[in-house]
Amino acid sequence: MPLQRTIVALIFLLTLASSLRAQSEDTDVQRPVPIFSAGMGFITPFQGGQPNLDPLISPIFLIPIGDRWLIESRDTFESDFATPPGSDTFHGVIQKEVDYLQVDYIANPYVTVTVGRYLTPFGIFNERLYPIWIRDLQSDPLILPIATGPSNASTGAMFRGGFAISPKVNLNYAAYYSTLIAVSPVDSDRSAGGRVGIFLPDQRLEVGGSFQHLLQDERSNSFGFHFAWQPPPIPLDIRAEYARSSRGSGYWIESAYRLSQIATAQDYLRNVQLVARMQQFFVGALPSEVLPTANTQEFEFGLNYYFRDNLRAVSSYGRQFSSLGNVNVWTVGITYRIVTPIGHAGAD
Amino acid sequence: MTKQFLVFSLLAMAIGAGLLASAQDRQAAKPSASTAAAPSASPAAGRATVHDDAAERIEGEKRFKANCGRCHMAPEKFPPRMMATILRHMRVRATLTDEDTRLILHYMTQ
Repeated sequence: MPLQRTIVALIFLLTLASSLRAQSEDTDVQRPVPIFSAGMGFITPFQGGQPNLDPLISPIFLIPIGDRWLIESRDTFESDFATPPGSDTFHGVIQKEVDYLQVDYIANPYVTVTVGRYLTPFGIFNERLYPIWIRDLQSDPLILPIATGPSNASTGAMFRGGFAISPKVNLNYAAYYSTLIAVSPVDSDRSAGGRVGIFLPDQRLEVGGSFQHLLQDERSNSFGFHFAWQPPPIPLDIRAEYARSSRGSGYWIESAYRLSQIATAQDYLRNVQLVARMQQFFVGALPSEVLPTANTQEFEFGLNYYFRDNLRAVSSYGRQFSSLGNVNVWTVGITYRIVTPIGHAGAD
Repeated sequence: MTKQFLVFSLLAMAIGAGLLASAQDRQAAKPSASTAAAPSASPAAGRATVHDDAAERIEGEKRFKANCGRCHMAPEKFPPRMMATILRHMRVRATLTDEDTRLILHYMTQ
């Protein structure tokens, strides 16, 4: 508890100091201002006919300092309310996670140094697609826990960046070292790893690979590949990941199509998104507490409706096949994101 | 022990960040040669600036669609100082290049 209080106090003081300084220099409209943001949602998944109630709120603080520094944090408060056998009422506990609490220093156009607790850069889902208001399907990919550590985060230092290696090719990278912390909710594994990606902006195509060496327990290696493509002429996203470790391996491939090019009923159809995902998981030589315990494959189809860019209704249907039994997986819900400045935000 | 180390590290980072940021702000407050020359630019140079501004805006929109649309819906435009923070965050999160960050910020603050 003292640790949590200290962290909260630290964030508050830094926010206040940065905000006051920003207010005194409001003639420069480009000077960044501290921001509070939050992704939130209420999802109702039905797994094998059993309904759950999953409210979630994920507050984010972004505190810029000077021209090169950024302190950022994201916490998640969520619950998974379910009806225990013999009960008619929903019960559950609120889970708290510190997803990241990091200090970024933009050293030069090629290198950003990050220190603190950060999302493990393994694949693309964990860092970029995880937030509830971004993900197209609300269930996690089966392989997400591979090489991402407890709470999908690591604690230590990281070098990362992106730069053009030619007019048509960008390279991005991340290399990190994480230390062992056993204290929840900031627990992490001792590991080292990295990710490299090649992005072709004209084709909107990215391919890359990730690697991690665990420096504890079985000291195993994990690796993965990712792929993302947005064919420029059509509103289609295609994404895929593959990951392999001693505790399991698998892949997912997802496509999401926005009906914005349908001529009929444009006012409504342009807000509709159709999603499909297929994934498979294969158990590894070592047991895992967070990965499926049997070979599993799953198909999911989603239908999302965007009321605004930050507010949408989500739904999906899927079927999961495994030797433990086949089940239907339904989700319905709503997701929302707010962004507000802490201080004067400049002219509109 | 781990808790104490974490708290100490966070405090040290915060203090260090504040001191370095202050030093950088003082440095940035000094007018540079390029910014000092801008007000006395000729009309021809002014037209070139407008042309460059339009070109940068078009390029910024292109890079916005290529980079930001990879992960999420195009957001509404926020006030300039918010966009500056958001772009700094996204530069780190999505490993945007320095040039992409600058052009997208230019586009999103017009």
